[in-house]
Amino acid sequence: MKAKNNSIRLPERLLISRSYTTSESNKTGSWRYLMPRYYEKTAPCSVACPAAEDIGRIQMLNTQGFFKEAWDTILVENPFPAVCGRICFHPCEKVCNRGRFDEAVSIRALERFVADTAQRYKLTSGIEPMAFTGKRIAVVGAGPAGLAAAHFLHLLGYDCHVFEALPEPGGILRWGLPRYRLPLAALQPEIERIRNSGVSIYCGQAVGRDFLHSAGETYGAVFMACGAQRMPLLRIPGEDLPGISEGLAFLCSVAQGGGPGFQGTAAVIGGGNTAVDVARCLRRLGARAMIIYRRRREDMPAFAEEIELALLEGVELLELYAPIRIEKEGNGLRLTLQQMKIGAMGADGRMRVVPDENRIRELTVDQVFKAIGFEAAEPWHVPEAGAVSHLKLRQAVLTQGANSVPVVYCGDPVTEIQSVVHAVASAKEGAMALHVLLTGGTAAVAETLAAAAVGPGGSLSMEAFLKGERLNRSSHVVAYEEINIDHFQYAPRMIQPRLLQAERVASFAEIDLKISAGMAIREAERCFNCGLCNQCDNCRLFCPDLAVRQEDSKRGRRIDYDYCKGCGICVVECPRNAMVLEEEQDS
Amino acid sequence: MVSGHVGCAGCGAAIAMRFFLQALGNQAIMVMPACCWSIIAGSYPMSSLRIPLIHTAFETGGAVASGVRAALDMKGDTQTTVVTWAGDGGTFDIGFQALSGAVERNEDFIYVCYDNEAYMNTGVQRSSSTPYGAWTTTTPGREWKRMRKKNIVEALVAHRIPYAATASIAYPQDLMAKVAKAKAIKGSRFLHIFASCPTGWRIPSELSVKIARMAVQTNIFPLYEVENGVKYTINLSPKGYLVREYFKLQGRFKHLSDQDLSEIQNMVNEDWNLLLRKAGLPQVQGEHM
Amino acid sequence: MKQVLEGSHAVAEAVRLAKVQVISAYPITPQTHIVERLSDYCADGTIKARFLRVESEHSALAVMIGAASTGMRTFTATSSQGLALMHELLHWSSGARLPIVMAEVNRALAPGWNIWADQTDSLSQRDTGWIQLYCETGQEVLDTTLLAFRLAEAVNLPVMVVLDAFFLSHTYEPVDIPSQAQVDEFLPPIIPRIQLDPANPCALNQLSPPNIYMEMRYQIHLVMQAALSELEKFEGDFERIFGRRYGAVEPFLCQDAEIILVTSGTITSTSRQFVLDQRAQGEKIGVLKVKLFRPFPVEAVRGYLKNARKVGVIDRNFSFGAGGIFAQEVRAALYGLARRPPVFGFIAGLGGRDVTLESLGEILTRLKTLKRPDPESIWIGLQEVQLAGPKS
Repeated sequence: MKAKNNSIRLPERLLISRSYTTSESNKTGSWRYLMPRYYEKTAPCSVACPAAEDIGRIQMLNTQGFFKEAWDTILVENPFPAVCGRICFHPCEKVCNRGRFDEAVSIRALERFVADTAQRYKLTSGIEPMAFTGKRIAVVGAGPAGLAAAHFLHLLGYDCHVFEALPEPGGILRWGLPRYRLPLAALQPEIERIRNSGVSIYCGQAVGRDFLHSAGETYGAVFMACGAQRMPLLRIPGEDLPGISEGLAFLCSVAQGGGPGFQGTAAVIGGGNTAVDVARCLRRLGARAMIIYRRRREDMPAFAEEIELALLEGVELLELYAPIRIEKEGNGLRLTLQQMKIGAMGADGRMRVVPDENRIRELTVDQVFKAIGFEAAEPWHVPEAGAVSHLKLRQAVLTQGANSVPVVYCGDPVTEIQSVVHAVASAKEGAMALHVLLTGGTAAVAETLAAAAVGPGGSLSMEAFLKGERLNRSSHVVAYEEINIDHFQYAPRMIQPRLLQAERVASFAEIDLKISAGMAIREAERCFNCGLCNQCDNCRLFCPDLAVRQEDSKRGRRIDYDYCKGCGICVVECPRNAMVLEEEQDS
Repeated sequence: MVSGHVGCAGCGAAIAMRFFLQALGNQAIMVMPACCWSIIAGSYPMSSLRIPLIHTAFETGGAVASGVRAALDMKGDTQTTVVTWAGDGGTFDIGFQALSGAVERNEDFIYVCYDNEAYMNTGVQRSSSTPYGAWTTTTPGREWKRMRKKNIVEALVAHRIPYAATASIAYPQDLMAKVAKAKAIKGSRFLHIFASCPTGWRIPSELSVKIARMAVQTNIFPLYEVENGVKYTINLSPKGYLVREYFKLQGRFKHLSDQDLSEIQNMVNEDWNLLLRKAGLPQVQGEHM
Repeated sequence: MKQVLEGSHAVAEAVRLAKVQVISAYPITPQTHIVERLSDYCADGTIKARFLRVESEHSALAVMIGAASTGMRTFTATSSQGLALMHELLHWSSGARLPIVMAEVNRALAPGWNIWADQTDSLSQRDTGWIQLYCETGQEVLDTTLLAFRLAEAVNLPVMVVLDAFFLSHTYEPVDIPSQAQVDEFLPPIIPRIQLDPANPCALNQLSPPNIYMEMRYQIHLVMQAALSELEKFEGDFERIFGRRYGAVEPFLCQDAEIILVTSGTITSTSRQFVLDQRAQGEKIGVLKVKLFRPFPVEAVRGYLKNARKVGVIDRNFSFGAGGIFAQEVRAALYGLARRPPVFGFIAGLGGRDVTLESLGEILTRLKTLKRPDPESIWIGLQEVQLAGPKS
């Protein structure tokens, strides 16, 4: 029999739990109360570098093999990578966060590698200067400060005329640094590059004091970068005896190919780099060299590495001895030395030394070299007290007389530390300040320079000043604890290849040998790139919500806040702290 | 996998799925017994996955996959990979029978256990995967769990399956390499993926991956693989964090005393040495192992 | 072609003819002869199917769920404890709308251990959403199994073919085994409406919140109701090809019957003989066999029973605290009628005890003497038991 109830029809379509759309209509970004964002920060090395070189960025480019781009990135902050890559005292490496992990990155060696590579392939810088301002500026002195000032002023749109008393430009770089530290072949292209960029360098043209008053007829401003060549007096009896020379003059004659073979014993008085350079040159000329220093080795202003190398070369070091007189003895000189001892700590944080009772030592040598620091050769090389406007900056001084053009003083006479990179930093600050003065007036200088500061130490970035792509160099300096070291493997610092020890004193050949590109890349890979995005992609990879999207932009990715739940994994897993997690703003 | 899934902020299981699918590709059918992912994958009519997915009863991961595989075999489909994606409860506990049955038959599929060490979907109840020392809502206060975590990989290895491996969301390359390797093998393959749970472990969500990494680095969750039940390979030599560093970051362990932590360190050392022995490697001594 | 077959083998023959693609089962007496025969067929290539010998009934049904969700025609068989273990997945398979077919051999539930006929195992699964078809003979078992596939795949619900332990599963009877061509005509290959397919990915059985769960359940209800007419339609096809028809319910001499016994399974056969015997003695008595238990054929039951003076339902099952399960269903079916016969519930043959002509005689006597039904079921053939051992 038929069932009566046959009115119910079979539904045509199944109503089952079967998906037909994606979960993308759930905008899970509404859950978020913390918000990640990309926020690049500043690496400690860059802060420690007086020239504010963007070291993290440079190493990132090196890692990728973009050596030219790395070179350009240096040049915008420092026109002397081939020089500084050799002789800089690399404060960057002392603060390198990698140093807390295993060993600091060999930043200086990488800088030299980049510069040498650029020279080897005769690369030209891709940095575009600003539009010509129509103004011409005179630079007095073609040493590191003067040449750097011309470089920066050129970038800022000025026509520069550099006046140099000596027959060749370069100053201390050419005349004062031994070739085994800085070969002429490394220096020459740096100077040529500045010249070729459009800077006019007039050598053999000494400038007198009156130039400061007459310059206004031709120049919109004067840059004083005369350096410090005069040695202060020892203020001891006998310091004028024959056979006593100034260290710098000696180095200068060696640099010119002078310095005949010298078999005797020489004493070098002083503890700075010049003293060490003199002693090492003497060793190369065949002499026995002794450095006499009134404090301890660790107190010497000379770079520790240079002292180390000097001792390896057979230079002797007499610590805690102060010369009290020099007398003639036969064909030689007799030095009387006061034994010193450590006293109380001085206001500058260094230990004072005081005479150790009447302990005296006598020493007979064939020659004595004085190398106890330098000061400006002429009083007008330093700022005049009577200027109407006298703006003392960190590394430079800017003055303006009643009826004269602005005068900027930079380089050794006005910097606290006398080094090439400080000269560069001084020139940069002076150039920036002058530019602000000429375009916006004195009042704007401090604020504008502050905007270009990298970290709290006073290093200034020309790139930031020029409003480059990394205009906002964050004031947040990345600490070691902020690095996610889980993403780094231990790797030893590169070992700088050098001339064999026995060969070093045999010639003035450069001691540090070149490194291969592979070695440079490996070393650059050790860099944490603190605070910088190197596109490692961890943020995207680890996002549980697929809220970090790839896109065709410079960074290559963006956060999709429609879906980002604000978990913060991207921020923590960023190995280099290039992101930040912040409170969500109420909208 | 797409955005808009409802996993908690910082969900390790979501990260595990990302890496897994990235390595596996879309030519797959996924079987999903009850677990956190039953929710994360989306409610009707949405799905957060772009592969066919069948939600199934809690204890059926091994069996339903066997059925799917059988169906594909009947269709002559040799390209599609069948995957079971289960939590620790569905693997270590309620689903263990079906899993054991399936791998004993050497069913041709990949069984993935993403392990967040408790019943998280139901609100943090203890499972046999919950580690010694942990608080859960069913091991509260002084009743914190005093039993060791079941060694599921060894249980699977005892079945002499072609491939069994551990992996962690903190080691994507290792994880994805294992998925690729598993994909190429026929027969039963087992992946045990450590997937941290910020909600259940009482940890800040941003540390989710970091803590998973520490689990490996402490030897609490070593990365290794076993082929055919005999060939052991340890994939990563840990830097050797102490377990206390791992434990102190997690609220679920905050009640433990120094003495407890020392005992746990000893257990971890013992397990690590056991693994070294199986891998034919020399034993190590000392706290940092 | 007629052969003398066990009921179990009748199931196996139907499964072979249905060209099932995936089989999975776990052994339990008295289902074993079904799966052993199927194993033989798979082993010798008679059936081209994957047979998964799993580690439990639960997994057997889980395998079905996986295979059916991937578009396969699937079959499993179980009994008693095994069915009880499957309980969760019985709900799952109907909720997932999978056309799984299962042979279920009615066996008593433990404890104590009892392997003999009893319907409580399958009837206690009445709310799981499975269509249930109860069989009386070996031939009916074979035919019903074929019908089950057709019906399951049409309505996308699982179907249970139920047969009594031993009385049917292990009893040899002549069975007409149809040709493959006939079966192919009746049962074409499955056209799956649910299929896991990497080319068309979707998620199945997902979280279904309150805003949609009820509608999904309502559709299952509608489909269950539609299954009544679908079954009728397919029985028409079946009769055309094979010349046999059963019906959701099958009346035997009910037309003028004053007393109608309602039966299911093998008790029906005994009842047919009893009715013939009683008719010979002038009793106006008939039997209504209920074949389709879910969906319950309310209108058909009403149609046959409404004019009877008394209805006696014989249940080889029991719902503790209530009564015989068929009796409850029959009472509920008649409830809406203005005039309806009293329904008397009898419990007989639990745990495989024989329901003999004498048992039926006792039932008829009770039916004739009792004026109105007691809410209590009447247990037939209970014996006095001498208790020994502990006092508690």
